[in-house]
Order: sequence, then C-alpha cells, then structure tokens
Amino acid sequence: MTEPALPPQVSTWNSPEMAKRLQGRYAAERRFKAIGAGAVALSLSFLAFLLFIMLRDGLGGIDWAFLTGSDSTDADTAGIWGAFKGSLLTMGVTLALSFPLGVLAAVYLEQFAPRNRWVDWIEVSINNLAAVPSIIFGLLGLAVFIQVMGLPRSSALVGGMTLALMTMPVIVIAGRNAIKAVPPSIKDAALAVGASPVQAVFHHVLPLALPGILTGTIIGMARALGETAPLLIIGMRVFAAAPPEGVTDTATVLPMQIFLWSDEIDQAFVQNTSAAIIVLLAFLLAMNGLAIYLRNRFETRW
Amino acid sequence: MILALGGVSWWTARSRAQALYTGRGSLKAMPNYHGWHMALWVLVPALLGWAVWNGVAPGLVRSALLADPAASILPAMDMERDAIVNEALAAARNGGFGAFRPETAQLVPAATSILSRFDLIGAALVAVLAFAGGAFGFTRVRADFPARTRVERGVLGLLLAASSVAILTTVGIIGSLIFEAGRFFTFVSPIDFLFGTNWNPDPFAPITPEIGEKLGALPLFWGTLFIGAVIAMIVAVPLGLMSAIFLTQYASPRFRRWAKPILEILAGVPTVVYGYFAALTVAPLIRDFGTVIGIGNPTTESALAAGLVMGVMIVPFVSSMADDAITAVPQSMRDGSLAMGATTSETIKKVLIPAALPGIVAGVMLAISRAIGETMIVFMAAGAAARLSANPFESMTTVTYQIARLLTGDGDFSHPSTLSAFALGLVLFVVTLMLNIVALRVVKKYREAYD
Repeated sequence: MTEPALPPQVSTWNSPEMAKRLQGRYAAERRFKAIGAGAVALSLSFLAFLLFIMLRDGLGGIDWAFLTGSDSTDADTAGIWGAFKGSLLTMGVTLALSFPLGVLAAVYLEQFAPRNRWVDWIEVSINNLAAVPSIIFGLLGLAVFIQVMGLPRSSALVGGMTLALMTMPVIVIAGRNAIKAVPPSIKDAALAVGASPVQAVFHHVLPLALPGILTGTIIGMARALGETAPLLIIGMRVFAAAPPEGVTDTATVLPMQIFLWSDEIDQAFVQNTSAAIIVLLAFLLAMNGLAIYLRNRFETRW
Repeated sequence: MILALGGVSWWTARSRAQALYTGRGSLKAMPNYHGWHMALWVLVPALLGWAVWNGVAPGLVRSALLADPAASILPAMDMERDAIVNEALAAARNGGFGAFRPETAQLVPAATSILSRFDLIGAALVAVLAFAGGAFGFTRVRADFPARTRVERGVLGLLLAASSVAILTTVGIIGSLIFEAGRFFTFVSPIDFLFGTNWNPDPFAPITPEIGEKLGALPLFWGTLFIGAVIAMIVAVPLGLMSAIFLTQYASPRFRRWAKPILEILAGVPTVVYGYFAALTVAPLIRDFGTVIGIGNPTTESALAAGLVMGVMIVPFVSSMADDAITAVPQSMRDGSLAMGATTSETIKKVLIPAALPGIVAGVMLAISRAIGETMIVFMAAGAAARLSANPFESMTTVTYQIARLLTGDGDFSHPSTLSAFALGLVLFVVTLMLNIVALRVVKKYREAYD
C-alpha cells in the first residue's frame, strides 16, 4: 500500500503566495463593493444636501400671507397663490385634453388596431414623442397655437395644450401596459356571452385597467407640473400681480415663479424662491405618493 | 350649449325608442344606443362646424373690418394697420375698453357691430348643423335600426382619431421647425450657420447679407456637447453604473426596495429646482475651488456647475438602464463564472458588464440625448458667452439656452436672429431623434440575442 505522498510544497492551495493572492482578490472584492455603496451614498447625499439647503433657506418663508399672496416687486408681500392658480388652470387643461386622448389611443392600439402602415406610424410617433426634448414642444406651441391659431400668448390655455401634447405619450404608454396586463380570458368571457368587442373592452377590460392608467396619468401630470422650458417659450414668463381668472388670462405657473424669483437681485427673494420650491416639491411628492398608493391598493395579480 | 343639445337629443331618441319597445326581440338595439346614435349625429357635425368656423372667422372679421367705410382712415402701412385693427378688435370684445390710439377709438363701433354679426352667423351655423344632424338621427329611430353597430363604428372612428393626434403632433413639430428654419435659411446660408464660429445675435440689427457672420452656431454645439455629453456623463455614467451594480448584485432586497425609489426622486425633481441649486449653491463653490487651484473666473456661471448638477439629475436614468441591461444577462452566465471560483466583483467585471455592454451603451446614448435637450439648468447656471473653450470653469452656452433666450426677448418674430432659434431647434430635434433611434435599435437587437 503506497501512500500518494505528495510533498506539501507542491500543493498550491495553502502556499503563502496563494494565500496572498487570495487575500488580494478578496480585498478587490471589498473595494468594488465599497465603490458601489459609495456611488449610491453619494447620489443620495446629493439629494439630501439639496433638500437641506432648500429647507434651511425657505422654511422660514412659508406662512399664510405667502401661500395666499400674488407676485409682487416687494419680497415681503410676494406670495405664490397667483402662480399656484395658474398651475392649477394649466394642469386642468392638460388633464382634460391628454387623459381622454391618451386612454382612447391606448385602447385603440392595444385592442382594436389592425396591423397596417398607419398604425405603425402612430406607434413610432408615440415612442419618439416620449423622448423629444421638452423645449421642442415649446417651439411647436409657439409656431402652431400662437402664430397659426392665434390663441392668446402667455395663457394657461396654450400652456396646457402644449403640456398635453407632451403628457399624452406618457399616458398612452402607461395605458397600453395596464391594458396588456388584463388577462385576455376576461375579454373572451364577455365576448362569449354575446357582448360586442366595443362592449367587452369598455365594460370589462378598461375598468380593470383603470388603476394602472391612473397611476401613469398622475406620473405624467407630475412631470408636466414641474416643467418650465416649454412654458418659457410660449411666453408664460410674466409678472402676474393678480391670479388669473380664466384659462385665457395671462398667467404664470409655479416653476416659472421660481425661475422669475431666482433672477431677482434682491437677496430677500432667496427665501421666497426656496419656499416656493418646498411647496412645489411637496406637491410632487404627494402626487407620486398617491400614484404609489393607487398602484399598491388596486394592483391585482392575475 | 352644444353638449346640452347632445344630452337632450340622447334623451329624446332614447324615450322614443323605449316607446317602440313592445316586448322581447321587438327592438334591434337597446334604447340607450338609439340615444347615443342621435347624440352623435347632433354633436359631431356641430362640433366640426364650430371648429371650422373658429378657424376661418378671424380672417373674415378682419377683411370685413378693412372693407368697412370706417377703415378708410387707416394708414396704408401694413404693420401699423394690423396693430390698430388688432387693438380695435380687442377693445370691441372688452366693451370699448382698451382703445389707446385715436384711430382705434373711431374704429371700435364698426368692429363691435361686425363682431356681433359674425358671432351670430357662427351660432346660427352651428345650430343649423346640430338640428340637421339631429333630424337625420331622429328619423333613424326605428325598431329594426341597428343603432349599436353604428354607434360602435363611430366609437372606433373616435379611437382612431385620438391615436392619430400623435402623428399630428409629430407632423406639427417637424412642419413648424422646417417651415420657420426655412425662413431663417433664406437669410443665412446653412454652411455659415453650422460651421461659423462667431455667435452674436442681435434682434435689432438691420437685416443685411452679412448678418450670417454673427450667426455661426458652432460654439453652441461645442458648449452643448461639452456640458451635456462630456461633463454630465463623467458624473452620471460611473455613479449610475456603480449604483445599478450595487443595487442589483450586492444590496439586500430590503435595502433595494427602499433605496431605488429614493434614487428615482432625483429624476423627479423639477429641472428649475436643479437650475436654482446649481446657480446659487454649486456655482459659487466651484468658482472658489477654481480660484484655489489658480483658474480664476470672475463670474459664478460655469460649464462645470451646470454639467455636474445635470449629471446628478441623469444618474437614476443611467442606473435604471444599466439595471435593465444587467438583469437581462442570462443567470446561467453568472452562475458559470461563480462556479469556476470567480469572486462576485470578478464576475461583474469580466462577465456581466461585457455581456451587458450594448445595453449600457444604448442607455448612455439615451442619457446624452436627454442631457443635451435639457434647458433650465443651463439657462440658470451655464451663462450666455458663446466660446470654443475646453476650460470647464469658464461660462459656456448651449443650444437650448440660446433658443430660450432668443424667444423670450423682445425681438420681432420675422428677424433672422429670432428665427435662428427654430433652426437651432431643428438641429436639436434631429440629433436627439438620431440618438434615440440608434439606441432603441441597439437595445432591441441585444434583447433578441439573449432571448
């Protein structure tokens, strides 16, 4: 019986060089993990830093007079109600246009569209529109709504229409995904008991897809609410000392008010700007929270 | 008004259809559908007529006013005359208030009567259309009329029309950009515009053939690329990629569930907030830093401030694209590498990233297209000076900055300096479109490779 007597120095697995090499590899592993954690930490701390600066500068400026006042040349009496109402009117126009158009387009593309060239063009357009820079929509609004159609410049109507064109692709894409998630057996069951295709979709598929569509709509509206560049182009950069009365009045919106105040030389406006940013961020956070709540509350796993 | 009419017609047709109901099978469609059928016949022609009338009425009102005897006092100069006519019409709508020029005041009574006459004609037109449609629809309420099929055909038409708005928007964007840019290129040759190095637009300069020498957009293209594709990407790509790797490969599911939505908040903060933050907080820090290392710059505006903040804004975008690309790599490739004894980081560096590279590159391209289209950060933090410089501490300008500045000024819309904004917009649109198309094609091809 001969033992396979290998001399210990031949085994590379517990030699000092190997141990050193292994240690180096483990150190590299730890370094890599630390870099990854550092990247996440750095991004999150930037967000925290931004929020901290805004809260530090602006929290003292939020009071009743600030929330109910309109723009003014004096930092102490200036408030955000005028801009806020402008934002509400603009968002109202945007929602009234983009929600029906977006939902109907999503229903059509997902349930009824035949495969032909026109439908292909629609799909290509929607996917590309979702990636077009927002300022280009401002150029479209200026050239078509103001110069060709002669609608009043600087009004919530034109702003809302421009943002609606921007938001519609978002709603269509979210709506298509929500409709796709409804199992076909539901539609088949409706068809089997004698419903027409239109009835099956509008009475059974669409109500089940609605929570998903609403989530997408809220996210699209939140994006539109924070948008500034296209509204700058269509002239909503105005000093509005009184809140707008209707959608055709000269109006400004919350992000635009932030931009206008940030341009002021007077140091006292720093507090106003930061306070307005806090209000805007709070609103956006609430909208996104609502979207998440809706998704968790009504999401159905089939 | 029109909607109320539609409601009334819905109710009328429905009750008439109900009266026709004599028992099971006596009606071919439910009374509701008869109601909808007639309502559609009232609404669609009336709304179409209203839209068309609103399109042509302003022109008709204007020519009627110019033909009016009261208009004989108007000056022959086109621009002056248009201004007075506009003022008179606005004043007439406001009940005579707002007529600042003496000529306008004389014109207001005529404008008022013409406006009310045309309003009346419009209302009458809409009413006639609504009633004609309604009458036609009403005669269709019969027991054997397949109202549901007809209504559903109408609904499908409506759906198709809603979808076609997307095409209309695309056509509108391309059409308006090309039309206005075409007007610009009648003044300035495209070669001068694309390759000229002197950018100094003046909306009040006289229009001479030499105006193109001041509208060379090369410095803008350079500034846009330098801020959006270089500085911002130097920040966003490492941060986004490493965040994605950490969150997908190392972090516990619990941490991932919390950290990912918080990271996404960075993408949801409005750009105007970033712009304010960049201008007020980041830019002074960078200027001080520049002074310390000996690159002094008197203004706080710098390409670096705008680029840095823009990069942070793009991090979640790059991160989620990289996340998708890494998750799409088949699990067996990762398991194989780990089974051979590689550590996790070796697996990531030697297997996952090479396999996910096309997806990551496509994500970076989409991120660049987003960064160069970004307006507010550069508008507030990058500055207006058009220069070809590689010093990130200097202020630089971008395409989006100039579009916004040219169109918010007081310039006349037919001056080449103002029109150049549309030419810049056209360039921006084409470049972002190319980036998107190429990136989406790469993503698609790559997905097919692993499916």
